Amino acid sequence: MWLQALPALQEILNLALRIITSRTFLEIVFFPGFLNVMLSAAFLVWLERKVIARIQLRIGPLYAGLSGILQPIADGVKLMFKEMILPELADAKLLMLCALGLMMLAFAPAAAIPFGEGLVIANMDVGLVYVFAVMSLFPSVILLIGWGSNSKYSFLGGLRSLFQQVAYEIPMWLSVLGIVMLTGTLNLTKIVEAQQRLWFVVPQVLGFAVFFTVALAELERTPFDLPEAETELVMGWMTELSGVPFMLGFLAMYTKLYVMSALITTLFLGGWSGPGFLPQPVWVVLKTFIVASVVFVIRGTFPRVRVDILLRTGWTRLLVLAFANIFVTVALMSIGLGSVWRI
Amino acid sequence: MPDIAFLALSGLVIVSAIFALEARELIYGAVGLAFSLIGVAGLFILLGAEYLAMFQISVYVGAVVVLILFTIMLVRRESGRIVEEEEPGRLGRAGILVAGLIALAVAGAIVILVPISPEAPEFYGVPLPELGRDLASSYAVPLVILGLVIGATVIGGLTLAKVEREKKPNGTTQ
Repeated sequence: MWLQALPALQEILNLALRIITSRTFLEIVFFPGFLNVMLSAAFLVWLERKVIARIQLRIGPLYAGLSGILQPIADGVKLMFKEMILPELADAKLLMLCALGLMMLAFAPAAAIPFGEGLVIANMDVGLVYVFAVMSLFPSVILLIGWGSNSKYSFLGGLRSLFQQVAYEIPMWLSVLGIVMLTGTLNLTKIVEAQQRLWFVVPQVLGFAVFFTVALAELERTPFDLPEAETELVMGWMTELSGVPFMLGFLAMYTKLYVMSALITTLFLGGWSGPGFLPQPVWVVLKTFIVASVVFVIRGTFPRVRVDILLRTGWTRLLVLAFANIFVTVALMSIGLGSVWRI
Repeated sequence: MPDIAFLALSGLVIVSAIFALEARELIYGAVGLAFSLIGVAGLFILLGAEYLAMFQISVYVGAVVVLILFTIMLVRRESGRIVEEEEPGRLGRAGILVAGLIALAVAGAIVILVPISPEAPEFYGVPLPELGRDLASSYAVPLVILGLVIGATVIGGLTLAKVEREKKPNGTTQ
Protein backbone atom coordinates (compact mmCIF):
# COMPACT_ATOMS: atom_id res chain seq x y z
CA MET A 1 0.00 0.00 0.00
CA TRP A 2 2.55 2.62 1.06
CA LEU A 3 4.99 1.36 -1.54
CA GLN A 4 2.66 2.85 -4.14
CA ALA A 5 2.65 6.12 -2.28
CA LEU A 6 6.45 6.22 -2.19
CA PRO A 7 7.04 7.93 -5.58
CA ALA A 8 4.53 10.60 -4.66
CA LEU A 9 6.22 11.11 -1.33
CA GLN A 10 9.57 11.31 -3.08
CA GLU A 11 8.19 13.92 -5.43
CA ILE A 12 6.90 16.00 -2.54
CA LEU A 13 10.28 15.72 -0.79
CA ASN A 14 12.06 16.73 -3.98
CA LEU A 15 9.80 19.70 -4.36
CA ALA A 16 10.36 20.73 -0.75
CA LEU A 17 14.12 20.41 -1.23
CA ARG A 18 13.93 22.46 -4.41
CA ILE A 19 11.98 25.18 -2.62
CA ILE A 20 14.34 25.23 0.36
CA THR A 21 17.46 25.45 -1.80
CA SER A 22 15.99 27.94 -4.25
CA ARG A 23 17.44 31.41 -4.26
CA THR A 24 14.11 33.10 -3.63
CA PHE A 25 13.52 31.11 -0.46
CA LEU A 26 17.03 31.81 0.78
CA GLU A 27 16.63 35.47 0.06
CA ILE A 28 13.37 35.59 1.96
CA VAL A 29 14.82 33.80 4.96
CA PHE A 30 18.31 35.24 5.10
CA PHE A 31 18.39 38.42 3.12
CA PRO A 32 16.09 40.74 5.06
CA GLY A 33 18.47 40.03 7.89
CA PHE A 34 16.02 40.90 10.62
CA LEU A 35 14.23 37.54 10.63
CA ASN A 36 17.44 35.57 10.35
CA VAL A 37 19.23 37.46 13.13
CA MET A 38 16.21 37.51 15.44
CA LEU A 39 15.44 33.80 15.13
CA SER A 40 19.10 32.84 15.32
CA ALA A 41 19.53 34.86 18.52
CA ALA A 42 16.53 33.09 20.04
CA PHE A 43 17.95 29.77 18.88
CA LEU A 44 21.29 30.62 20.50
CA VAL A 45 19.54 31.15 23.85
CA TRP A 46 18.16 27.61 23.59
CA LEU A 47 21.47 26.22 22.34
CA GLU A 48 23.37 27.73 25.24
CA ARG A 49 20.95 26.31 27.80
CA LYS A 50 21.20 22.88 26.19
CA VAL A 51 25.00 22.91 25.93
CA ILE A 52 25.46 24.12 29.51
CA ALA A 53 22.95 21.51 30.68
CA ARG A 54 24.93 18.75 28.96
CA ILE A 55 28.15 19.93 30.59
CA GLN A 56 26.48 20.00 34.00
CA LEU A 57 24.75 16.63 33.47
CA ARG A 58 21.28 18.14 33.36
CA ILE A 59 18.62 17.98 30.67
CA GLY A 60 17.85 21.65 30.14
CA PRO A 61 14.64 23.00 28.59
CA LEU A 62 12.44 20.09 27.59
CA TYR A 63 8.73 20.74 27.27
CA ALA A 64 8.16 23.69 24.91
CA GLY A 65 8.40 22.31 21.42
CA LEU A 66 10.82 19.64 20.23
CA SER A 67 13.38 19.24 23.01
CA GLY A 68 12.42 22.68 24.35
CA ILE A 69 13.40 24.59 21.22
CA LEU A 70 10.47 26.99 21.65
CA GLN A 71 11.53 27.90 25.19
CA PRO A 72 13.11 31.29 24.24
CA ILE A 73 9.89 32.33 22.51
CA ALA A 74 7.82 31.30 25.54
CA ASP A 75 10.22 33.28 27.75
CA GLY A 76 9.91 36.28 25.47
CA VAL A 77 6.11 36.24 25.64
CA LYS A 78 6.29 35.85 29.41
CA LEU A 79 8.67 38.82 29.77
CA MET A 80 6.45 40.98 27.58
CA PHE A 81 3.57 40.61 30.03
CA LYS A 82 5.68 40.98 33.14
CA GLU A 83 5.54 44.04 35.35
CA MET A 84 8.35 46.55 34.95
CA ILE A 85 9.89 47.02 38.39
CA LEU A 86 12.28 49.95 38.73
CA PRO A 87 14.10 51.48 41.69
CA GLU A 88 12.58 54.70 42.99
CA LEU A 89 15.12 57.12 41.58
CA ALA A 90 15.85 55.16 38.40
CA ASP A 91 15.64 57.03 35.12
CA ALA A 92 12.86 55.07 33.42
CA LYS A 93 12.95 56.98 30.14
CA LEU A 94 16.70 56.68 29.81
CA LEU A 95 16.57 52.97 30.61
CA MET A 96 13.91 52.28 27.99
CA LEU A 97 15.78 54.36 25.41
CA CYS A 98 19.06 52.62 26.15
CA ALA A 99 17.49 49.14 26.02
CA LEU A 100 16.02 49.97 22.62
CA GLY A 101 19.32 51.50 21.50
CA LEU A 102 21.19 48.39 22.60
CA MET A 103 18.90 46.26 20.46
CA MET A 104 19.41 48.54 17.44
CA LEU A 105 23.17 48.53 17.93
CA ALA A 106 23.19 44.74 18.16
CA PHE A 107 21.29 44.41 14.90
CA ALA A 108 23.18 47.09 12.98
CA PRO A 109 26.42 45.18 12.21
CA ALA A 110 24.42 42.35 10.60
CA ALA A 111 23.78 44.70 7.67
CA ALA A 112 27.39 44.45 6.55
CA ILE A 113 27.88 40.69 6.98
CA PRO A 114 27.53 38.73 3.72
CA PHE A 115 25.46 35.55 3.85
CA GLY A 116 26.25 34.52 0.29
CA GLU A 117 27.26 35.93 -3.07
CA GLY A 118 25.19 39.08 -3.34
CA LEU A 119 23.28 38.25 -0.16
CA VAL A 120 24.34 41.26 1.86
CA ILE A 121 22.16 44.18 2.89
CA ALA A 122 24.79 46.90 2.51
CA ASN A 123 27.81 46.00 0.42
CA MET A 124 30.00 48.75 1.86
CA ASP A 125 33.62 49.40 1.02
CA VAL A 126 34.20 50.19 4.68
CA GLY A 127 32.21 47.23 6.04
CA LEU A 128 34.82 46.12 8.55
CA VAL A 129 35.30 49.61 9.97
CA TYR A 130 31.52 50.03 10.10
CA VAL A 131 31.12 46.89 12.21
CA PHE A 132 33.84 48.02 14.61
CA ALA A 133 32.43 51.56 14.78
CA VAL A 134 29.03 50.19 15.81
CA MET A 135 30.69 47.85 18.31
CA SER A 136 32.45 50.82 19.90
CA LEU A 137 29.07 52.39 20.80
CA PHE A 138 28.10 49.56 23.15
CA PRO A 139 30.10 50.63 26.23
CA SER A 140 28.52 54.07 26.46
CA VAL A 141 24.97 52.70 26.22
CA ILE A 142 25.73 50.02 28.82
CA LEU A 143 27.29 52.64 31.09
CA LEU A 144 24.16 54.77 30.75
CA ILE A 145 22.00 51.79 31.72
CA GLY A 146 24.22 51.18 34.74
CA TRP A 147 24.01 54.83 35.75
CA GLY A 148 20.31 55.25 35.08
CA SER A 149 19.38 52.21 37.18
CA ASN A 150 20.47 54.05 40.33
CA SER A 151 21.77 50.84 41.84
CA LYS A 152 25.31 50.08 42.86
CA TYR A 153 25.35 46.66 41.24
CA SER A 154 24.21 48.08 37.92
CA PHE A 155 26.67 50.94 38.15
CA LEU A 156 29.63 48.68 38.98
CA GLY A 157 28.63 46.33 36.18
CA GLY A 158 28.42 49.23 33.73
CA LEU A 159 31.83 50.53 34.79
CA ARG A 160 33.42 47.10 34.45
CA SER A 161 31.85 46.67 31.03
CA LEU A 162 33.24 50.03 29.96
CA PHE A 163 36.77 49.28 31.15
CA GLN A 164 36.79 45.89 29.55
CA GLN A 165 35.39 46.87 26.18
CA VAL A 166 37.49 50.01 25.82
CA ALA A 167 40.67 48.16 26.81
CA TYR A 168 40.01 45.33 24.36
CA GLU A 169 39.04 47.50 21.43
CA ILE A 170 42.67 48.21 20.51
CA PRO A 171 43.74 44.56 20.16
CA MET A 172 40.49 44.01 18.25
CA TRP A 173 41.40 46.59 15.61
CA LEU A 174 45.01 45.40 15.40
CA SER A 175 44.20 41.69 15.16
CA VAL A 176 42.34 42.06 11.87
CA LEU A 177 44.96 44.33 10.32
CA GLY A 178 46.75 41.32 8.87
CA ILE A 179 43.68 40.36 6.84
CA VAL A 180 43.32 43.89 5.53
CA MET A 181 46.98 43.88 4.53
CA LEU A 182 46.64 40.56 2.69
CA THR A 183 43.42 41.41 0.84
CA GLY A 184 43.91 45.14 0.44
CA THR A 185 40.24 45.86 1.17
CA LEU A 186 37.86 46.56 4.06
CA ASN A 187 34.87 45.19 2.16
CA LEU A 188 33.62 42.07 3.96
CA THR A 189 32.28 40.49 0.74
CA LYS A 190 35.68 40.83 -0.91
CA ILE A 191 37.38 39.47 2.21
CA VAL A 192 35.24 36.33 1.91
CA GLU A 193 35.95 36.09 -1.83
CA ALA A 194 39.67 36.21 -1.09
CA GLN A 195 39.36 33.12 1.12
CA GLN A 196 38.08 30.77 -1.58
CA ARG A 197 41.48 29.07 -1.80
CA LEU A 198 42.54 29.08 1.85
CA TRP A 199 40.73 30.35 4.93
CA PHE A 200 42.41 33.10 6.86
CA VAL A 201 42.50 31.01 10.01
CA VAL A 202 45.62 29.31 8.61
CA PRO A 203 47.91 32.25 7.79
CA GLN A 204 46.36 34.46 10.48
CA VAL A 205 46.25 31.94 13.31
CA LEU A 206 47.66 34.47 15.80
CA GLY A 207 45.16 37.09 14.70
CA PHE A 208 42.38 34.52 15.00
CA ALA A 209 43.40 33.64 18.57
CA VAL A 210 43.58 37.31 19.56
CA PHE A 211 40.30 38.18 17.87
CA PHE A 212 38.47 35.26 19.44
CA THR A 213 39.73 36.21 22.92
CA VAL A 214 38.78 39.82 22.34
CA ALA A 215 35.36 38.75 21.11
CA LEU A 216 34.80 36.88 24.36
CA ALA A 217 35.65 40.05 26.29
CA GLU A 218 33.51 42.27 24.07
CA LEU A 219 30.59 39.90 24.49
CA GLU A 220 31.10 39.72 28.27
CA ARG A 221 31.28 35.94 28.11
CA THR A 222 33.24 33.64 30.41
CA PRO A 223 36.14 33.91 31.24
CA PHE A 224 35.62 37.66 30.86
CA ASP A 225 32.09 37.94 32.27
CA LEU A 226 33.13 40.37 35.02
CA PRO A 227 30.38 42.90 34.17
CA GLU A 228 27.82 40.22 34.91
CA ALA A 229 29.61 38.36 37.71
CA GLU A 230 26.54 36.87 39.36
CA THR A 231 28.23 36.03 42.66
CA GLU A 232 29.32 39.65 43.15
CA LEU A 233 27.02 41.87 41.14
CA VAL A 234 23.73 39.92 40.97
CA MET A 235 23.44 40.41 37.20
CA GLY A 236 25.72 43.36 36.50
CA TRP A 237 24.25 46.23 34.53
CA MET A 238 21.09 44.21 33.85
CA THR A 239 20.24 43.88 37.56
CA GLU A 240 17.52 46.51 37.67
CA LEU A 241 16.05 45.81 34.25
CA SER A 242 12.82 43.86 34.23
CA GLY A 243 10.02 43.06 31.85
CA VAL A 244 10.44 44.43 28.35
CA PRO A 245 13.73 46.35 28.90
CA PHE A 246 15.25 43.20 30.35
CA MET A 247 14.10 41.20 27.35
CA LEU A 248 15.59 43.79 25.00
CA GLY A 249 18.90 43.89 26.85
CA PHE A 250 19.10 40.11 27.13
CA LEU A 251 18.22 39.50 23.50
CA ALA A 252 20.60 42.28 22.43
CA MET A 253 23.51 40.47 24.05
CA TYR A 254 22.61 37.24 22.25
CA THR A 255 22.17 39.12 18.99
CA LYS A 256 25.60 40.61 19.53
CA LEU A 257 26.95 37.11 20.13
CA TYR A 258 25.40 35.92 16.86
CA VAL A 259 26.73 38.89 14.92
CA MET A 260 30.20 38.56 16.45
CA SER A 261 30.30 34.83 15.64
CA ALA A 262 29.18 35.63 12.10
CA LEU A 263 31.97 38.20 11.90
CA ILE A 264 34.54 35.60 13.04
CA THR A 265 33.14 33.25 10.38
CA THR A 266 33.37 35.95 7.74
CA LEU A 267 36.88 37.08 8.61
CA PHE A 268 38.63 33.85 9.46
CA LEU A 269 36.52 30.81 8.55
CA GLY A 270 35.81 31.48 4.91
CA GLY A 271 32.32 32.93 5.24
CA TRP A 272 29.98 31.27 2.76
CA SER A 273 32.66 29.07 1.15
CA GLY A 274 32.06 25.34 1.58
CA PRO A 275 31.16 22.22 -0.41
CA GLY A 276 28.35 22.86 -2.85
CA PHE A 277 25.74 20.41 -1.53
CA LEU A 278 24.48 23.04 0.91
CA PRO A 279 23.52 26.57 -0.14
CA GLN A 280 25.88 29.38 0.82
CA PRO A 281 23.82 31.04 3.61
CA VAL A 282 23.43 27.68 5.33
CA TRP A 283 27.21 27.37 5.51
CA VAL A 284 27.51 30.81 7.10
CA VAL A 285 24.84 30.07 9.70
CA LEU A 286 26.27 26.61 10.39
CA LYS A 287 29.78 27.95 10.98
CA THR A 288 28.37 30.75 13.09
CA PHE A 289 26.54 28.30 15.33
CA ILE A 290 29.71 26.21 15.67
CA VAL A 291 31.68 29.31 16.79
CA ALA A 292 28.89 30.20 19.23
CA SER A 293 28.90 26.63 20.59
CA VAL A 294 32.62 26.95 21.32
CA VAL A 295 31.81 30.11 23.28
CA PHE A 296 29.17 28.18 25.25
CA VAL A 297 31.52 25.29 26.00
CA ILE A 298 34.10 27.80 27.26
CA ARG A 299 31.43 29.23 29.55
CA GLY A 300 30.73 25.79 30.95
CA THR A 301 34.35 24.89 31.59
CA PHE A 302 36.38 27.98 32.51
CA PRO A 303 36.45 30.08 35.71
CA ARG A 304 36.18 33.86 35.70
CA VAL A 305 39.38 35.96 35.58
CA ARG A 306 40.27 38.75 38.00
CA VAL A 307 40.05 42.39 36.91
CA ASP A 308 43.80 42.99 37.00
CA ILE A 309 44.51 39.81 35.04
CA LEU A 310 41.94 40.87 32.46
CA LEU A 311 43.55 44.27 31.97
CA ARG A 312 47.10 42.92 32.03
CA THR A 313 46.21 40.26 29.45
CA GLY A 314 44.70 42.90 27.22
CA TRP A 315 47.51 45.39 27.34
CA THR A 316 50.56 43.13 27.48
CA ARG A 317 49.73 39.80 25.90
CA LEU A 318 46.99 40.42 23.34
CA LEU A 319 48.52 43.66 22.07
CA VAL A 320 51.92 42.02 21.63
CA LEU A 321 50.38 39.00 19.90
CA ALA A 322 48.43 41.27 17.56
CA PHE A 323 51.63 43.09 16.61
CA ALA A 324 53.41 39.75 16.15
CA ASN A 325 50.60 38.78 13.79
CA ILE A 326 51.20 41.93 11.75
CA PHE A 327 54.92 41.10 11.50
CA VAL A 328 54.13 37.52 10.43
CA THR A 329 51.84 38.93 7.76
CA VAL A 330 54.56 41.26 6.53
CA ALA A 331 56.94 38.30 6.35
CA LEU A 332 54.37 36.28 4.39
CA MET A 333 53.91 39.12 1.94
CA SER A 334 57.63 39.72 1.52
CA ILE A 335 58.25 36.10 0.47
CA GLY A 336 55.53 36.49 -2.14
CA LEU A 337 52.72 34.47 -0.54
CA GLY A 338 50.43 37.49 -0.43
CA SER A 339 49.21 36.86 -3.97
CA VAL A 340 47.27 33.77 -2.79
CA TRP A 341 44.64 35.97 -1.14
CA ARG A 342 44.83 39.08 -3.26
CA ILE A 343 41.79 39.57 -5.46
CA MET B 1 16.40 63.21 -1.60
CA PRO B 2 19.90 64.24 -0.43
CA ASP B 3 18.34 67.57 0.49
CA ILE B 4 15.90 65.92 2.88
CA ALA B 5 18.67 63.80 4.37
CA PHE B 6 20.89 66.86 4.66
CA LEU B 7 18.17 68.92 6.34
CA ALA B 8 17.27 66.10 8.71
CA LEU B 9 20.91 65.51 9.68
CA SER B 10 21.57 69.23 10.09
CA GLY B 11 18.50 69.45 12.29
CA LEU B 12 19.73 66.52 14.36
CA VAL B 13 23.18 68.09 14.75
CA ILE B 14 21.84 71.52 15.74
CA VAL B 15 19.03 70.37 18.01
CA SER B 16 21.15 67.84 19.87
CA ALA B 17 23.99 70.37 20.19
CA ILE B 18 21.57 72.84 21.80
CA PHE B 19 20.27 70.02 23.98
CA ALA B 20 23.85 69.15 24.97
CA LEU B 21 24.41 72.72 26.14
CA GLU B 22 21.05 73.25 27.79
CA ALA B 23 20.46 69.88 29.47
CA ARG B 24 19.95 70.10 33.23
CA GLU B 25 21.91 66.93 33.85
CA LEU B 26 25.43 66.56 32.58
CA ILE B 27 24.75 62.96 31.54
CA TYR B 28 21.96 64.07 29.23
CA GLY B 29 24.34 66.66 27.85
CA ALA B 30 26.81 63.91 27.00
CA VAL B 31 24.04 61.92 25.28
CA GLY B 32 23.11 65.01 23.28
CA LEU B 33 26.73 65.44 22.27
CA ALA B 34 26.85 61.82 21.11
CA PHE B 35 23.79 62.33 18.90
CA SER B 36 25.26 65.55 17.52
CA LEU B 37 28.50 63.77 16.60
CA ILE B 38 26.57 60.91 14.98
CA GLY B 39 24.75 63.54 12.91
CA VAL B 40 28.10 64.95 11.80
CA ALA B 41 29.12 61.43 10.75
CA GLY B 42 25.94 61.25 8.70
CA LEU B 43 26.88 64.51 6.98
CA PHE B 44 30.27 62.99 6.14
CA ILE B 45 28.48 60.03 4.54
CA LEU B 46 26.39 62.43 2.44
CA LEU B 47 29.64 63.98 1.24
CA GLY B 48 30.91 60.55 0.19
CA ALA B 49 33.49 60.18 2.95
CA GLU B 50 32.32 56.92 4.53
CA TYR B 51 35.70 56.05 5.95
CA LEU B 52 35.93 59.37 7.76
CA ALA B 53 32.34 58.96 9.00
CA MET B 54 33.09 55.55 10.49
CA PHE B 55 36.12 56.89 12.29
CA GLN B 56 34.12 59.91 13.44
CA ILE B 57 31.69 57.50 15.14
CA SER B 58 34.39 55.19 16.44
CA VAL B 59 36.69 57.89 17.84
CA TYR B 60 34.37 60.72 18.85
CA VAL B 61 31.27 58.82 19.94
CA GLY B 62 33.00 55.59 20.92
CA ALA B 63 35.91 57.14 22.78
CA VAL B 64 35.49 60.86 23.52
CA VAL B 65 31.87 60.66 24.70
CA VAL B 66 32.73 57.60 26.78
CA LEU B 67 35.56 59.58 28.34
CA ILE B 68 33.20 62.46 29.11
CA LEU B 69 30.60 60.12 30.62
CA PHE B 70 33.27 58.44 32.66
CA THR B 71 34.63 61.74 33.95
CA ILE B 72 31.17 62.96 34.92
CA MET B 73 30.53 59.76 36.83
CA LEU B 74 33.87 59.84 38.61
CA VAL B 75 33.72 63.51 39.58
CA ARG B 76 30.07 63.85 40.54
CA ARG B 77 29.39 60.73 42.51
CA GLU B 78 25.97 60.60 44.07
CA SER B 79 24.88 64.04 45.09
CA GLY B 80 24.02 66.93 42.84
CA ARG B 81 22.86 65.28 39.69
CA ILE B 82 21.18 68.60 38.88
CA VAL B 83 23.44 71.39 37.70
CA GLU B 84 23.00 74.65 39.55
CA GLU B 85 21.75 77.17 37.07
CA GLU B 86 22.40 80.86 37.36
CA GLU B 87 20.03 83.48 36.06
CA PRO B 88 21.74 85.38 33.26
CA GLY B 89 22.44 88.93 34.48
CA ARG B 90 22.20 92.10 32.43
CA LEU B 91 25.68 91.58 31.01
CA GLY B 92 24.80 88.00 30.16
CA ARG B 93 21.69 89.07 28.26
CA ALA B 94 23.67 91.67 26.36
CA GLY B 95 26.22 88.97 25.50
CA ILE B 96 23.51 86.68 24.17
CA LEU B 97 22.13 89.54 22.07
CA VAL B 98 25.55 90.38 20.62
CA ALA B 99 26.32 86.75 19.89
CA GLY B 100 22.98 86.35 18.13
CA LEU B 101 23.54 89.46 16.02
CA ILE B 102 27.01 88.29 15.02
CA ALA B 103 25.71 84.84 14.11
CA LEU B 104 22.97 86.44 12.01
CA ALA B 105 25.48 88.68 10.26
CA VAL B 106 27.82 85.78 9.49
CA ALA B 107 24.96 83.63 8.20
CA GLY B 108 23.76 86.49 6.01
CA ALA B 109 27.22 87.10 4.65
CA ILE B 110 27.63 83.41 3.81
CA VAL B 111 24.26 83.28 2.07
CA ILE B 112 25.00 86.42 0.05
CA LEU B 113 28.66 85.88 -0.75
CA VAL B 114 29.03 82.13 -1.29
CA PRO B 115 27.26 80.87 -4.39
CA ILE B 116 25.24 77.75 -3.59
CA SER B 117 25.70 75.24 -6.37
CA PRO B 118 22.72 72.93 -6.88
CA GLU B 119 24.88 69.92 -7.66
CA ALA B 120 27.73 68.81 -5.48
CA PRO B 121 30.91 67.88 -7.32
CA GLU B 122 31.44 64.16 -7.76
CA PHE B 123 34.52 63.66 -5.67
CA TYR B 124 36.64 65.59 -3.22
CA GLY B 125 40.28 65.11 -2.33
CA VAL B 126 42.45 62.05 -2.88
CA PRO B 127 41.22 58.45 -2.90
CA LEU B 128 41.90 56.57 0.32
CA PRO B 129 44.31 53.90 -1.01
CA GLU B 130 46.55 56.67 -2.38
CA LEU B 131 46.38 58.52 0.92
CA GLY B 132 47.33 55.36 2.80
CA ARG B 133 50.21 54.66 0.44
CA ASP B 134 51.48 58.22 0.87
CA LEU B 135 51.22 58.00 4.64
CA ALA B 136 53.16 54.73 4.67
CA SER B 137 55.87 55.82 2.23
CA SER B 138 56.68 59.51 1.81
CA TYR B 139 55.13 60.70 5.06
CA ALA B 140 56.30 57.73 7.14
CA VAL B 141 58.72 59.73 9.29
CA PRO B 142 56.22 62.43 10.36
CA LEU B 143 53.71 59.67 11.10
CA VAL B 144 56.16 57.81 13.32
CA ILE B 145 57.10 61.04 15.11
CA LEU B 146 53.42 61.77 15.68
CA GLY B 147 53.00 58.31 17.15
CA LEU B 148 56.02 58.88 19.41
CA VAL B 149 54.58 62.19 20.63
CA ILE B 150 51.26 60.54 21.48
CA GLY B 151 53.06 57.62 23.11
CA ALA B 152 55.13 60.01 25.21
CA THR B 153 51.96 61.82 26.27
CA VAL B 154 50.34 58.55 27.33
CA ILE B 155 53.41 57.46 29.28
CA GLY B 156 53.60 60.89 30.94
CA GLY B 157 49.95 60.68 31.94
CA LEU B 158 50.42 57.19 33.33
CA THR B 159 53.45 58.31 35.34
CA LEU B 160 51.53 61.24 36.84
CA ALA B 161 48.61 58.98 37.72
CA LYS B 162 50.91 56.46 39.35
CA VAL B 163 52.65 59.10 41.53
CA GLU B 164 49.25 60.32 42.62
CA ARG B 165 48.21 56.87 43.74
CA GLU B 166 51.37 56.11 45.72
CA LYS B 167 50.90 59.24 47.83
CA LYS B 168 47.69 57.91 49.34
CA PRO B 169 48.05 56.60 52.91
CA ASN B 170 47.54 52.84 53.18
CA GLY B 171 46.24 52.88 49.65
CA THR B 172 45.10 49.52 48.48
CA THR B 173 45.96 49.19 44.85
CA GLN B 174 43.29 47.69 42.71
